[in-house]
Amino acid sequence: MAVFDALGGFKVTIGQVFQPRVTKQYPEEKRKKPPRFHGRHVLNRYEDGSEKCIGCELCAGVCPAGCIYVRGKDNPPDAPVSPGERYGYVYEINFLRCIHCDLCVEACPTEAITETKVLEFSFTSRRDAIYTKKELVVNNDGTPKRLPWEDWRVGDDEFTSGWMRATSPQGSKDFEGRTHWSGELGEGVRKPEAGQSDLKSEDASPRYMIRKVEADRISKRHGGKVR
Amino acid sequence: MSFFNPENLEKAQILVGLYPDKRSALIPLCHLAQSQHGHLSNEAMVEIAELVGVQPAEVYGTASFYDMLHTEEVGKYLVGVCTNVACLLSGGQELLEHASDVLGIPPGATTEDGKFTLEEVECVAHCDKAPCAQVNYRYFGPLTNGDFDQLVDDLKSDRLSDSVPPHGVLSRVFRDAPPMVPLEIIHQERRVMDEAKKARLAAQNPDAGGKQ
Amino acid sequence: MSTDESQNLVTLSIDGREIKAKGGELLIEAAEKSGVFIPRFCYHNRLPQVGVCRMCLVEVKGPRGFSLQPSCYLPVSEGMEVITQSEKVKKAQDGVLEFLLINHPLDCPTCDKGGECPLQDQTLTYGPGESRFAEEKRHWEKPIAISELVFLDRERCIQCDRCTRFADVVAGDALIEFIGRGDHTEVNVFPDRPFSSYFSGNTVQICPVGALTAAPYRFKARPWDLSQVESSCMACSMGCRIMVQSSQNGLTRYLGLDSDSVNHGWLCDKGRFGFEAINSADRVTSPMIRKGDSFVETSWASALSLIGSKIVDAKASGDPSRIGIMLGSRLTNEDIYAWVKLAKGVIGTDSVDSQLGDGLRGEVIAALPRATVNEAVSAKAVLAFTGDIKEEIPVLFLRLREAIRNGRTKLVTVGTRSSSLDKLSEVSARVTPDQARLLAMEVTKDSSKFPEISAVLSKQGVGADGEGLVVLLGRENLAWDQSIVEAFALELSRSLPKAKFLITLRGSNFSGAVDLGGVPRLLPGRSSLETATPVLRQKWANLPAQGGRGAKEMFNAALRGELDLLFLVGSDPRQDYLDSELANSALDNVGFVVSVDTYLSRSSSSADLVLPAAAFAEKAGTTTNLEGRVFTVNQKVTSPGLCRPDWTIASEIALELEEDLGFGSAEDILDEIAEVSPLHWGLSWHRLTKSAALDGVVVPITATALSIRPRAMLDQISTPGIASVWNQGLPSSKTSYFDDGTIEEPGSASQPPAQASVASVEPIWPVAPVQPLGTMRLGYSRKLYGQGEHLMNSPHLSKLIVEAKCRISSKTAKELGAEMGDSLRVADKAGGESLFELEIDDSVGDGIVELIRGSFSNPGFSPVRSDEAVNYVKVERA
Repeated sequence: MAVFDALGGFKVTIGQVFQPRVTKQYPEEKRKKPPRFHGRHVLNRYEDGSEKCIGCELCAGVCPAGCIYVRGKDNPPDAPVSPGERYGYVYEINFLRCIHCDLCVEACPTEAITETKVLEFSFTSRRDAIYTKKELVVNNDGTPKRLPWEDWRVGDDEFTSGWMRATSPQGSKDFEGRTHWSGELGEGVRKPEAGQSDLKSEDASPRYMIRKVEADRISKRHGGKVR
Repeated sequence: MSFFNPENLEKAQILVGLYPDKRSALIPLCHLAQSQHGHLSNEAMVEIAELVGVQPAEVYGTASFYDMLHTEEVGKYLVGVCTNVACLLSGGQELLEHASDVLGIPPGATTEDGKFTLEEVECVAHCDKAPCAQVNYRYFGPLTNGDFDQLVDDLKSDRLSDSVPPHGVLSRVFRDAPPMVPLEIIHQERRVMDEAKKARLAAQNPDAGGKQ
Repeated sequence: MSTDESQNLVTLSIDGREIKAKGGELLIEAAEKSGVFIPRFCYHNRLPQVGVCRMCLVEVKGPRGFSLQPSCYLPVSEGMEVITQSEKVKKAQDGVLEFLLINHPLDCPTCDKGGECPLQDQTLTYGPGESRFAEEKRHWEKPIAISELVFLDRERCIQCDRCTRFADVVAGDALIEFIGRGDHTEVNVFPDRPFSSYFSGNTVQICPVGALTAAPYRFKARPWDLSQVESSCMACSMGCRIMVQSSQNGLTRYLGLDSDSVNHGWLCDKGRFGFEAINSADRVTSPMIRKGDSFVETSWASALSLIGSKIVDAKASGDPSRIGIMLGSRLTNEDIYAWVKLAKGVIGTDSVDSQLGDGLRGEVIAALPRATVNEAVSAKAVLAFTGDIKEEIPVLFLRLREAIRNGRTKLVTVGTRSSSLDKLSEVSARVTPDQARLLAMEVTKDSSKFPEISAVLSKQGVGADGEGLVVLLGRENLAWDQSIVEAFALELSRSLPKAKFLITLRGSNFSGAVDLGGVPRLLPGRSSLETATPVLRQKWANLPAQGGRGAKEMFNAALRGELDLLFLVGSDPRQDYLDSELANSALDNVGFVVSVDTYLSRSSSSADLVLPAAAFAEKAGTTTNLEGRVFTVNQKVTSPGLCRPDWTIASEIALELEEDLGFGSAEDILDEIAEVSPLHWGLSWHRLTKSAALDGVVVPITATALSIRPRAMLDQISTPGIASVWNQGLPSSKTSYFDDGTIEEPGSASQPPAQASVASVEPIWPVAPVQPLGTMRLGYSRKLYGQGEHLMNSPHLSKLIVEAKCRISSKTAKELGAEMGDSLRVADKAGGESLFELEIDDSVGDGIVELIRGSFSNPGFSPVRSDEAVNYVKVERA
């Protein structure tokens, strides 16, 4: 009986032999990352190419690891970097310190900072671990910069953010008042969800009309100019 | 270089002398300056500030508060269309829109030839002739759209120059006042009155007299 | 006093709790003192209340039951019943905040105030949480620069009237006003007239939203990455209490602290925005030695050993007074003490001066009975014979203006020029030197030649012995030699022995220099070389036998080739010495010039050796303000490069001479000062950092000086920038910034210092020269923004430096046949000439030409010559 007792002791082990294997042939083969995986950050742009970051330092303030360093500056009036008065002049993340808690993403009032799913990036010097705006800001087409030392896989740049409304895109009138998603990196592509009206669409909120009439009236009273 | 012409400068100095506190002459002086130029230019406000001993910003603050003081240039005819209740019910809003169309300017603006400034005004106490309008503070009403066209036409061809004076001279602030009573005399009289009152009270109520 | 207060107490109930308050006190203050914080926007403890924001509504019981009333406008009274937390109050607060936010933009992330904003904080704490208003907000052009220093964003303004009230009531220049009416109301300046007030930075500090922001701080940092330390401003001799804030080892801003005895929370713009110069990239960061026409960087060790050998060489000639030291206004008390000890205790030279011809003799300052600022602003009458205080010590001007406005005192000015004090004065008399002498001798006498002045003084109840009179004494007109001012003061003090003097010289810490021997013939504690205390003799082994040279004598000695070695410690005589021609030619003739400086100033760039010094906020220590109040100055950032505090440089030099000054830290020096100087007995670092003494201690320490009131708790809405950094959190019911600690007795070692008496210093009236034919009298004065390294290295302040102009009255201009904008040639006594643009100004007296010191630096031209008692210049059309 001792043999059976011994085999009984191996019951779990033997049972596992017939289970499918969980070990992957990393790095040739990789697991699919969970939908909310937190990887390396990016700084997004609006559709018109301006940067979303306004240099408000809320991300730096909320960061529990103290790995973000931001400095704001006045937007140059002739070639603004971001909408509004202020832009992120210096933006640095020290990835040796970052714990990828995503609090910066939650704190960001403009959804400028989001996290991709890129996990594999390594450096040979401490200095390289500090990503600056050069590395963090997305390309003009809204795709993240794929840096030579990073191992990007399919899907690493998908489903990374919540929804947002463009606060006040600069320049082109086409973007005025449009609600859109920044669900993907860079530009908003998704349609608004139920209850989030796209002000340019057919079923525009009647409230907007009232507002517009009021605004016109105000500017009319002032001879059409704002002092 | 004074903004005021010599005659008005003299008036201004008299106006300043009317008040125990120079500052009190601010609004009368604004009207006086406006009567000279139709509106309060920056130079006018700076000069008024010097005359009453305040900063130009304070004059600007006061002038911009009141609707009848204009800090920007106004036309020869200041047309005000009333949209307060009585006129509104009788079509004041429509009259304003018509006026805007006829003159080709929104309320608050001045025509390019500098003849007309259109204003939306609150009740001008001409409710019995609603909807009414005023031109340089002379009243017209009730006005239909046609009446208004006629009025504009008359004004353009200066047919009403007898009854409608040029803008600005309406605010007649200049008045004669007795020479200012020195403050000491006023205080002296107040003291005498106060004492008399105190004595009276004391006589009425001997207990309470000591307390006050 | 205490009986008065207890008689005046009333009892009222707040939220069912009985409290006692002073009768007539405002409810909002009484509540705060008892621990109940009532939210507010427009109320500010240093401004008259207006009650416009309605945020402080509370329920107060009246004849018809409880009703809402603004607590900032309601004085407490006996039996008052107040409810600060109820449904009704909450609803009112909700409503007020909802209304304020109708038009307030939600751009907090970009706004400089975000994170320290009373509107943000109070909306979070008391607000409704959501708004019913979805309408378009009011729009104005986003920030407009209303001056070089201040940006105005009208969209954010909540019309609390704080800035406009400050400008009108406190500063007295209502350059900003409410414009328009209703929802079109905006705060703005008059078109094309900038907000060019010297006090504009205060409006930024008290703005409860981000409507007014400071250009030098704009987008530099956020409140949560700032840290702060309390310090004293060293831009002038007032010593305003400030919070020094920095981020990432860079200074970001100074904020005024509400100090009852000094600055009431206000600062001038020069002090407030001067931090930019410390961040300047042009700082001297390593020792530099002259090689031909340029400098070569060197090491501290070689620089110090060079200095050591130079000192030995100079002493070898047998006359230690061939070595001179000029101390500048950057120095703390510890720096001064260390350098004076090096000079008078180690090297043995008495040629140490801290004044550059624009001050007063140390003996005279030491002899005059000293008044405090508080005494001055509550004196029966104030007699001013001083430079324009608004231009030189701006915050003292605010204090004086406030006192006069509230009728606490009356002002009489005497002088040669018109100044901003004239508007505040009952009488302003123009005098010649002879008249000044007459005035000093018989000002209170009935037979006085100045009946208006005596009338004011006697009406105010100033005694015949000067009881109740405070004299503000400074350099009224720099064209008059200091000896006239000194003689005037001594004469006045003799005829009015009870009158007190507040010396209103501008240089920061001039008072500390006099107290610590930073002037010839004086030693720490204002004792003279002969009356040095035994303990001082013991610590200072090598006391000079005879009095040394002041700045003027040093320069004259240099011209004769009798000055081998000159140390310029934070001093720039080529720029700052009154007779710049004398300074220039003398400095060219000194054997070896060592400059200890923060920038390459005019003097240091022509020195032989330049040592880098730590600037303000880079070192700890103490400073003494014009009334003799000693405060702490604290370190906030690290110096760039190899900069060192000045006192360590003195110690190192002493070590080169194989002497040990005997201290290793600023605290050690303060302890030694307290030991050797009778004036500073009882002073210690510990005492100065105790909460009750944060406003400083007036030396000599007396029993009254110790009964200082503890610093009032910090109203976070009055000074949002400070409280937010302090708390790094939400407003609580009360910010107890400082506990109300008491201060212990000075200790038995304390003994009254020997006060030099006026009798010991003889007034010597110089012979005023007769005005030469064809000349004009000169009015030579300072403006707040003159040329100087500190200002020129501040990017924003440097734009405000005054233009070189000469001002004369229209009548004089007519005589010259000149018109506004013409070019005039002004020639000094020695024939040096310079061209000036003419500005006609009728506040200038006839026959006087006004020049502004520090607005020009023309080689060969110095309108004031040091050997003249009164200076005249020739003026003609160019």
